[in-house]
Amino acid sequence: MKKLMLYYHFPFCLSKCAYCAFFSKAGIGDEVVEEYTRALIRQTESFPTDGFEVTSVYFGGGTPTVAGEKRLCAVLEAVKKRFSLSENAEITVESNPKTVSANGLRALREAGFNRLSIGAQSFNDGTLRLLERPHNAEDFVRCFKDAREAGFDNISADLIFALPGESTDMLMHSVRSLIELRPEHISVYGLSVEEGTPLWKKKESLSSPDEEEEERQYFLLCEELAKAGYSHYEISNFARPGHESRHNTGYWKRTPYFGFGAGAHSFYENRRFSSPCDIDAYIKESKSGCFAPTGFSSAAEISEAEAEEERIMLGLRLSEGVRIDGDIPPVLTENGLAALKDGRVCLTEKGFRVSNAIIALFI
Amino acid sequence: MDISKIRNFSIIAHIDHGKSTLADRLLEYTEAVSKREMTDRMLDNMELERERGITIKARAVNFKYKADDGEVYDMNLIDTPGHVDFNYEVSRSLQACEGALLVVDATQGIQAQTLANAYLAVDNDLEILPVINKIDLPSADVKSTKDEIEEIVGIPADDAPEISAKLGTNIKAVLEQIVKAVPAPKGDENAPLKALIFDSCYDAYKGVIVYIRVIDGTVKVGDAVRMMHTGAEFELVEVGTLSTFGLNPKGVLSAGEVGYLAASIKNITDTEVGDTVTLSSRPANEPLPGFKKVLPMVYSGIYPADGAKYDDLKDALLKLRLNDSAFVFEPETSAALGFGFRCGFLGLLHMEIIQERLEREFNLDLITTAPSVIYRITYKNGEEKYIDNPTNYPSPDEIEEAAEPVVNATVITPTAYVGSIMELCQDRRGTFIDMKYVAGDRAELHYILPLNEIIYDFFDALKSKTKGYASLDYEPAGYAPSKLIKLDFLLNGEPVDALSFIVHADKSYARARRIVEKLRDNIPRQLFEVPVQAAVGGKIIARETVKALRKDVLAKCYGGDITRKKKLLEKQKEGKKKMRSLGSVELSKEAFMAVLKLDE
Repeated sequence: MKKLMLYYHFPFCLSKCAYCAFFSKAGIGDEVVEEYTRALIRQTESFPTDGFEVTSVYFGGGTPTVAGEKRLCAVLEAVKKRFSLSENAEITVESNPKTVSANGLRALREAGFNRLSIGAQSFNDGTLRLLERPHNAEDFVRCFKDAREAGFDNISADLIFALPGESTDMLMHSVRSLIELRPEHISVYGLSVEEGTPLWKKKESLSSPDEEEEERQYFLLCEELAKAGYSHYEISNFARPGHESRHNTGYWKRTPYFGFGAGAHSFYENRRFSSPCDIDAYIKESKSGCFAPTGFSSAAEISEAEAEEERIMLGLRLSEGVRIDGDIPPVLTENGLAALKDGRVCLTEKGFRVSNAIIALFI
Repeated sequence: MDISKIRNFSIIAHIDHGKSTLADRLLEYTEAVSKREMTDRMLDNMELERERGITIKARAVNFKYKADDGEVYDMNLIDTPGHVDFNYEVSRSLQACEGALLVVDATQGIQAQTLANAYLAVDNDLEILPVINKIDLPSADVKSTKDEIEEIVGIPADDAPEISAKLGTNIKAVLEQIVKAVPAPKGDENAPLKALIFDSCYDAYKGVIVYIRVIDGTVKVGDAVRMMHTGAEFELVEVGTLSTFGLNPKGVLSAGEVGYLAASIKNITDTEVGDTVTLSSRPANEPLPGFKKVLPMVYSGIYPADGAKYDDLKDALLKLRLNDSAFVFEPETSAALGFGFRCGFLGLLHMEIIQERLEREFNLDLITTAPSVIYRITYKNGEEKYIDNPTNYPSPDEIEEAAEPVVNATVITPTAYVGSIMELCQDRRGTFIDMKYVAGDRAELHYILPLNEIIYDFFDALKSKTKGYASLDYEPAGYAPSKLIKLDFLLNGEPVDALSFIVHADKSYARARRIVEKLRDNIPRQLFEVPVQAAVGGKIIARETVKALRKDVLAKCYGGDITRKKKLLEKQKEGKKKMRSLGSVELSKEAFMAVLKLDE
């Protein structure tokens, strides 16, 4: 059976974080969230499911848990009804501390969600305030423990480095605090201050680490995570053995996925497309009875050449690398940026930092 | 043709002082061209000329004028290029005339270039008629302008027509002046043919069109003619005058007339400007005076940005050469830039014009190396060589004496800027000759300056130091011994030949520092650290480092959204196509050109 992954987008948040440039809105009325949820279910029900085995379902956002566990469970129910899920399908829901209760977590776990991703970002409350996160470090720890108690044995947490005002010590405090909780999976991002975000507006006044300092932080945290048994299996992701995110890995191995909801991206029937980042438009469209969002029919099929470029560009995000014919440019090996292992180019941790420039050598 | 009714004249003016506009008005007034048919500035017919508002190649036009005395005059306006690079061509155009209009902008007064050309006209015994233009502008100062003409050029200007070429004011006065004051040509139509070549251009159907002024004798279709200097002989297919609408084949031209010849001439080098055309059957005893072979003064390498376009570049150069005998080129190879051409130009403007035409008319993307003058090297073994390419510059221990070309430079400036101009000339290794104050608040300075300094950035520096008020003219003044050295640049330890240049020893360190810094700032960061070094004969004198790339531009792929990443890589891929490898370093054309850009 053809494999398919599903993504459900929930563009709602408790409040907007100062650095966030993703499509998500805070303060959306409950009726709209309800209508949106119904639209997701409608779109799911109208999806032609024939011949697909769904290996992963991912509820992302925004903060899906802002919609409330009942709605999430209802959507998952619709998914299970409509699709045939593999027995060990990975079913992830993203959350943030203070958006879900212990009871809520229990309900999610019982409904079938088997992986939880929680945004920690930092364990320094001052930084969390600067980032306008609606929680503190303690809230995160409580949420994490509640999740464990609710039966989540596969938890991922996000961390951000190169944060303004954070010394290496402060970062390492976050890293160690997180490791102490023993999450199965950790995602790590360097902060990028993007245009249009509140952080951008005050970027002149921020004391962000310079390039050298950022690099130092990166290597230090890689080292710390490795020591704690986390493997750096993907450019931004670390996992304890066997807990690599199947959904995330699927993206880079070009497993087809379908995105439900406003602003969701799909790679389906050899096309890449997305629906507009417009909640109202999405709700309206879902009533038309059509399963596919705007953009599907107009998206061009991916040519063989383009597919090959995608294979390299996406595959190099994984530490297992990609198969190539022939040799690897000496500039990569001489400078410790990549290695050739059994005919596969694999980027080193140093190489991950400049992957675009490396990819450009192969395409 | 009644020779007493012919008037041959040209217009001398500084850029923007209104030469082309006045020419248009004269033609319009005499209805040589109707208003409707007139594109602005009829005489400039290359697109580039029109855009830059300057005239690159001399052209001529014939028109009739019925004067107040009731007679119809046969007028020939011979246009002259208004730039120092084309001094020789100007002098030949002037030699074809008996008079010149000296057009001076009443808001700006006389400029160095105008003065130089006015002197050329005096040298050629031309009757000079001052014309005061732009009297319509509020800042026009007619009185001072006239005083200045009298004082600087030394000709009476009291009766000079005060005109506005733009508005068409007083155009008739100019025409009447020409008829009255410009002498009719003298010449004997029965003497052996002597015709001066003052310009030529290439026509795809007719071959080279030779622009001539008949001094003595008569020339007609079917005549066998000889170019007295080049020795080339041709049988004439077409002879005629030059109208605003193009060639007007009338079959014969005689003493005093201006027109053209065509003889299916393939090679423009057979018909050099300044040469004398005579009849093969009855040649003149001696050619007209003043012929000079024009030699390039400035050389530069021109390479296609995309190596695959080499043949296109070659074709384009050949086509330009057809129209421009002063432009020379030969193939050269650079380790850094691949296959290209070493090109010789009359000067910087000439170089810029050729480069722009290659890019615009032939749609070529070019990489050009720093311009170089021609150095004269005397070797220890007594041999003497002229070097126009730094790559061929010998090592210091082979050199007995190095000499560089120098020029006699004239700068005319408001007195307020004399100090900063002297400072500039001093800094550019100039030797002060003299200075005189003219017409109240202006000064004329004379310096001997190395041409090498002029082509570096002298014009720009002069402009910026004097807010554009000072003007510069120069003429070659031979060679002067100089402490010259060759500066080499190394990227990642490998020399990049295309970056080498010759510089005066005293300036080498500063220049080296500057280029090394420019390289550092313009070379995109690579996957490894790149040392950038400047060296003189193997000794490193400056060093910078391009740090290794440490971090990508981020392109998050959240939720399977890889569009940004794809776009980013697409852009990188596009950029890569245009990259040049300088050794192990990838460099964009833009970066390369930025390094070579001559600014301080």
